[in-house]
Amino acid sequence: MTAGGYFGQALVADVTAGTCQTVPLPEDVLRGYIGGAGLGVWLLHRLGPPGVDPLSPAAPLAFVFSPLVGTPLTTSAKFALVAKSPLTGMLTDALASSQFAIAGKLTGHDAIVVRGRAPRLSLLLVDGDGVRLADAAHLAGLTAAQADAALRDELGRGWRVAAIGPAGERGVRYATISHDGRHAGRGGLGAVMGAKNLKAIAVRAATKVATADPGAVLAAARDLRERSFGPATAKYRELGTLANLLAFNAISTLPTRNFQAATFEGAERLAAEPAADASPDGQPGGGEVEGMRRVARSSCASCTIGCEHIYRVGPGKKVRVEYENVFALGPMCGVSDPQAVLAASARCDDLGIDTISAGGTIAWAMECAERGLIDAPWLRFGDSAALLRALDEIAAGTPLGALLAEGSKRASGTVGGDSGSFALHVKGLEMPGYEPRTLQSMALGLAVNARGADHNRSGAYEADLSGDLDRLAGGDAHVAAAIETEDRAAIMDSLILCKFLRGVFTDPFTEWAGLLSAVTGWDVCAAELRETARRIVMAKRVYNIREGWHPADDWLPGRLLSEPLTLPSGRVAELTASRLRAMIDSYYKMRGLDSEGRPDHTFVDNLRLA
Amino acid sequence: MAAFAGVVLAGGRSSRMGSPKAALEWHGSTLLRRTVGIVARAAGGPVVVVRAAGQDLPDLPPGTIVVTDPREGKGPLQGIAAGLAALAGQAEAAFVCSTDLPFLHPAFVRRVLRVVHDGHADVCLPIARGYPQPLAAAYRTSLADTAERLVKEDRLRPAFLFEQCVVQRLDDAALKTDPVLAALDPELDSVLNVNEPADYQAARTRPAPEVTVQLFGSLVRSGQPRGPRAVRAATVAAAADAVGLVFDRHVTAALNGDQITRDGTAPLAAGDTVFFLSADAGG
Repeated sequence: MTAGGYFGQALVADVTAGTCQTVPLPEDVLRGYIGGAGLGVWLLHRLGPPGVDPLSPAAPLAFVFSPLVGTPLTTSAKFALVAKSPLTGMLTDALASSQFAIAGKLTGHDAIVVRGRAPRLSLLLVDGDGVRLADAAHLAGLTAAQADAALRDELGRGWRVAAIGPAGERGVRYATISHDGRHAGRGGLGAVMGAKNLKAIAVRAATKVATADPGAVLAAARDLRERSFGPATAKYRELGTLANLLAFNAISTLPTRNFQAATFEGAERLAAEPAADASPDGQPGGGEVEGMRRVARSSCASCTIGCEHIYRVGPGKKVRVEYENVFALGPMCGVSDPQAVLAASARCDDLGIDTISAGGTIAWAMECAERGLIDAPWLRFGDSAALLRALDEIAAGTPLGALLAEGSKRASGTVGGDSGSFALHVKGLEMPGYEPRTLQSMALGLAVNARGADHNRSGAYEADLSGDLDRLAGGDAHVAAAIETEDRAAIMDSLILCKFLRGVFTDPFTEWAGLLSAVTGWDVCAAELRETARRIVMAKRVYNIREGWHPADDWLPGRLLSEPLTLPSGRVAELTASRLRAMIDSYYKMRGLDSEGRPDHTFVDNLRLA
Repeated sequence: MAAFAGVVLAGGRSSRMGSPKAALEWHGSTLLRRTVGIVARAAGGPVVVVRAAGQDLPDLPPGTIVVTDPREGKGPLQGIAAGLAALAGQAEAAFVCSTDLPFLHPAFVRRVLRVVHDGHADVCLPIARGYPQPLAAAYRTSLADTAERLVKEDRLRPAFLFEQCVVQRLDDAALKTDPVLAALDPELDSVLNVNEPADYQAARTRPAPEVTVQLFGSLVRSGQPRGPRAVRAATVAAAADAVGLVFDRHVTAALNGDQITRDGTAPLAAGDTVFFLSADAGG
């Protein structure tokens, strides 16, 4: 066993039979996959039957911790939720931060994997006394936050809860799992948990975890803490990620009305900043959203950045606001009314659904309605009431709501016509708020990513916005940049450290190797971590291939390849199919894959998955 | 293949100036850096700098292609031939200019290139401020071989090349049918060159161009308005300085909403808009 950071075992609970077992995690596996998203994909290879239906009892749902959890390192209280996605049929991994990560790991496990299907709506409890199921009928239909509060009252001190909302119970394919008001949002993990008849899982710490070199860890924690207060994280502290909205609008990167435009005329109304005509003394001069914020600012557990900005949305109602939920429920749907956008975001939280997929699917439906493909004349871009009604229909499970609950890919298959050409998803996962035509490194990252259209596993937009290359002219340099950011994300998501810290690292792989060495006692170097990153990225690809991935899945929606954008400067942003094909081919080559994106058998054998 | 590219001829002897024009200071940068930067963003494709054998060049933006003129003393047609040849297969046409155009405006470059792109001409030759401007003109890259042949035949004036191809000439009025150019460079100062120290001094004493600056997100300090502001600045760093912003690794600039840069020496022209953004633009 390592000198620190791990317990060397995963707990596997079968909620059908109410039994559990511990599975040893060999040191070479831990060193090869680290934890979080990396260890999660290894577990999915081992414990997920090939071809399994994501909503079947046999499908595993893994809560995966990491070696840094429980240390004083800032932003390290994170865990990964990993499963086969009911939205994409491929791997999904969602990260989230809260005390749940610490309590979960300190049950004495590096991961808790749930399989089976409980006979009735249940609660899974894990602590030092073992694992047990309890009836959760009284929690049925509650929001995740309500269920969390109720269980903390019932269970008492020390328990931490992750729960699903009504959407997870009902199998909405983009349902979330929530804890402490945070959400493991993407890919429908809440539907997987709901399919197991689990309303919640509660964990309580029972032990401690050692670090190999406590002095070095403490020194690193102090150093990182100091750096986390600097200019690299100012944006997150002062305005939160919503600061992206106006900036992205200014550079034609804000997807609008289902990606029909890249700038939004209503962006100012949704800005985090005070109004542009603010008085010289800095007092807000009419910024509508800004006027609703500053109710509070909050941090995840063990975080010194504090990116959470809480907004008021009606009497006694608050909502955490981030760029992605405002993008998806605002510009993407053409809605500029901040009250409506924040109310929609709060409604998504109450339902327990991913705001990006919800907004993306509703935007697709709005376009369908405007083209006469869906009989819902009320569903129009820019109509606040229509946005809120669409969410209500998803909640109520009306025929339209049931269609939207399937996500845009499946729904376009049902609606037919040419609706698939403007269903903005990759592999079934709806697009985040980054315009691929004006961010062409990101275009590649979105196309080839294992999770689908995802901005967290591929942060290639960093390269596009760095100024080091022309973001409108994708080529080999963009491919190399996309690979670099994908590799960095693989390590950050496995250690796990928050991506908002990325700007404080000047030599990231070396610094991350130092952190991992101090915690585990391993002599890890940057070169080893780079190899680990590649292993994790490839293990995800191999999992998807096993589950039926096809080369055509590494692609972008037709609209992005056939409708150029004219920028205010007069330049035309065009991403042709041939350019995307060339970048994907180059990506495969640089990754050592064959021309169809598959690794050879020797390569797969070296991944240590069997 | 890009539609457009640029060729900047830097290999002249600068005999009247008395020192290499390419290295002349220009608002904290150099004249060559400015010319390359303006041509690069207007053309949207690669830029070739043609230098003389053994000539030192000042710092240039990453990606700039530098070629060495294989023959000395053959004049501009030799430089045009070398520059166009270096762009074979990389661009349809190139804006070709000399180093010493301190007021070259991107709108002028685009106006001239557009003629070659939209029509059948091989060359778009401005007749600006009363003179033909072969070193502020657009050429199809396919003319490289013809230019090379003329040099070998010792027919060294650009006029010989124009005899061999389709040339469209644009006088002042025709140039200024472009409303952007007419508004931002009404006197067509784009073609003013500096040959002697007095020219340079006169050019250097002109005020920097007026540009619009806007800060985003946390770059707006407490008490500052965040709306657009007009300032005079010849480079991105100067624009940042004009609004009290330190242009360090935590900041990027977007020129006119499209070109992102962290290069403080990136040149500005009249009418430009500079958005300053947090370098950590994701989340």
